Formats: sequence, structure tokens, C-alpha cells
Amino acid sequence: MTEQRPTSSRDWSPEARQEFYRRRRGRNWALLAALIALCGLLYAVSVVKLYHAGQMW
Amino acid sequence: MSDTILRTSASAAPEQALLDQSILGATAGDWLALLKPRVLYLVVYSGAAGLLVAPGGINPVLGFTAVLCIAMAAGAAGAINMWYDRDIDAVMRRTSRRPIPAGRIAPEGALAYGVALSALSVLLMWLSTNLLAAMLLAGSIAFYVFIYTMWLKRRTPQNIVIGGAAGAFPPLIGWAAVTGHVALLPVVLFAIIFFWTPPHFWALSLFASGDYANAGVPMLPVVAGQKATRLAVMRYTLWLVPLSLLPYVLHLTGPVYGASAMVLGLMFVWHAWRVLRDRQDEAGNSLTRDAPAKAAFKFSILYLFLMFGALVVDHLI
Repeated sequence: MTEQRPTSSRDWSPEARQEFYRRRRGRNWALLAALIALCGLLYAVSVVKLYHAGQMW
Repeated sequence: MSDTILRTSASAAPEQALLDQSILGATAGDWLALLKPRVLYLVVYSGAAGLLVAPGGINPVLGFTAVLCIAMAAGAAGAINMWYDRDIDAVMRRTSRRPIPAGRIAPEGALAYGVALSALSVLLMWLSTNLLAAMLLAGSIAFYVFIYTMWLKRRTPQNIVIGGAAGAFPPLIGWAAVTGHVALLPVVLFAIIFFWTPPHFWALSLFASGDYANAGVPMLPVVAGQKATRLAVMRYTLWLVPLSLLPYVLHLTGPVYGASAMVLGLMFVWHAWRVLRDRQDEAGNSLTRDAPAKAAFKFSILYLFLMFGALVVDHLI
């Protein structure tokens, strides 16, 4: 007899649900880190550009 | 791991395994893997070298941003390449575990990711350095995606010869980011990577030709045979050596680079010679499990690292 396979989230075992949450949490943290890094980089680039622009005047 | 979690049996059909992976979703590491991080080292390294040897210097923040943009663009082009090549990646043993063929990332997601990162890298390069560097960066992405991936890769055994130009852009971009123009030295550096690419990839294809044949990719060993590939490795290595000495001969670099280029070039020729003279059967297939080709492939990576390292050292002293 073949085992019933999960096809939607309602059929998930607790372990599968936990694994799904773990992966989603990992993706969200990575995205947050990337966004913060991008903001920091844009801020630093702006400061440097403005400093150089200020030196020309 | 997810197979057990979702209670799939060992005899589960591949389609079911794919479904399981797509239900659980990708990890952050899968999205990182789409950028082909192992390829990025050389790209970042050669781009940073171009940036460091350019006259005039650049603010460290802007220099870091420029190198980051080069890495981001190369990764984005890699993600689009994985989207386009997902059918052949699934067939090849070396690539079958990549996130798309393994079902962990949807193809359209990978494409959107690659396009968004491409646009971001070009825009950020323009904002932080200049338009020329941004245009060269956009050109390198377009060349890799449209010329190499979509046009050449599946059509001609010369795919990596012409397509190699995409990987040769970084020193040119690094230089342009600092100076706002292109000069002779970065063009020669471009040519060095261009001529380095065929022996590097053909050495790899000598011991991975079965994979390429299964996928229907017309790499040189698949189309012309092993003997012709061994000769081609030697031919391109012999062209590479005098070309690599050009910066010294033209007084664009000093003796540290000149001596390094000579010694490393001779070592590369020796590796190519070993590939050519490897013990082989009538068809040119290796009887030594392609040990010389594997050694030549590894050395080719070291060669480029040391060459560009010598270039930077020469510039700094």
C-alpha cells in the first residue's frame, strides 16, 4: 500500500511545518540583512559623493 | 532531509521529490547558490585588481561598492544562466542539484531575481562611479546572457572561446570605475583572461565531457574529440604566454609582473604539454583518469590569481 503524500499545507506533519517555518524564517532574516546592508551602502555612497561635491564648491 | 519530513519513501518518484521541495520552499542558501558564488571569486579578484592598478585612486567606499557591483552583476548573470539552462542542468550530474533543477526555486523566481539584481548592480555602479563603468557592466551581463548563454552555448564548440569575453570584463570595469575611461593596460588584461578561458574550460571539459554529451552541449571534446581538445589547450596556452608578457614589454608594468608572467606562463605550458602527452587510447581518451587535465584545470585558476596578484604587487611597490 502506498503512503499518502502531502499536497497542501493542511496535510503536513508537524516536522514538515517546522521545516517550512525554519526555511521561511531564514529567508526573511537574510532579506532583512540584505536590505539593511543596501541602505547602509547607499548612505555611505551618498556621504562620500556629497563630500566630494562640497570640495568642488 | 525534507524527503523524510514529508514522509516520502525511498522509491518516491522524482516528480514527488520536486513537489516536496517546492512545497517547503528554498533556503536563503539556495538563493545565494543561484549566484554561483564559487565563480565569483575570480571575477571579484580580477575586478579589484583592475581597480587597484588604475591611476588616480578611488575613495575606499566607492571602490568597495564598485567591486560589490561587479560581484552582484556576475551573480545576477549566473542566476539568469541557471534559469535558461535549467533543462540541461537537470541532465548533468555536476549541476543536477542546483536549486532550480532540484525544485527548490521556481524558474520564474530565479529569472526575476537575476533581472532585479542586474538592474540594481548597474544602477548602483552608475551612482557610485561613472556611466562608462555602468555601461561596461551592463554590457558584460548582456554578453554573458544573450551571446554566451542563449546564442553560443548550445550551438558551437567555440562557445567558451567567444563567450569567454564575458568573464574578461571585470578588470576593464574596475579600471573604468576609477578613471572614467579605458586604456591599453586594462584592454591587455581583458585579452589575457579571454585567451586564458579556453584552456581553462577545455581542461575541465576533458574530464566532464560525458556530462556535456548527455546534455547535448557541443563542447569541443564532444564535437571534435579528445585529441583535438588536447591540441587546442596547448595552442591557446602558447598564445596566452606571449600575450601575458605584453604589459611588461610595453612598460605598462614592472619586473615583478614580468618575471611572474614568464615563470607562470612556462608552468602553464608544462601543464598543457602534460595534457597533450597524457597516456591515452586511440580516440585520445585518458588512461590516467585525466589526472593531467585535472591538474591543468586547477593550475589555471592559480595562474590567474597569481598573475593578477603580481600585477597589484608590482603596482604597489
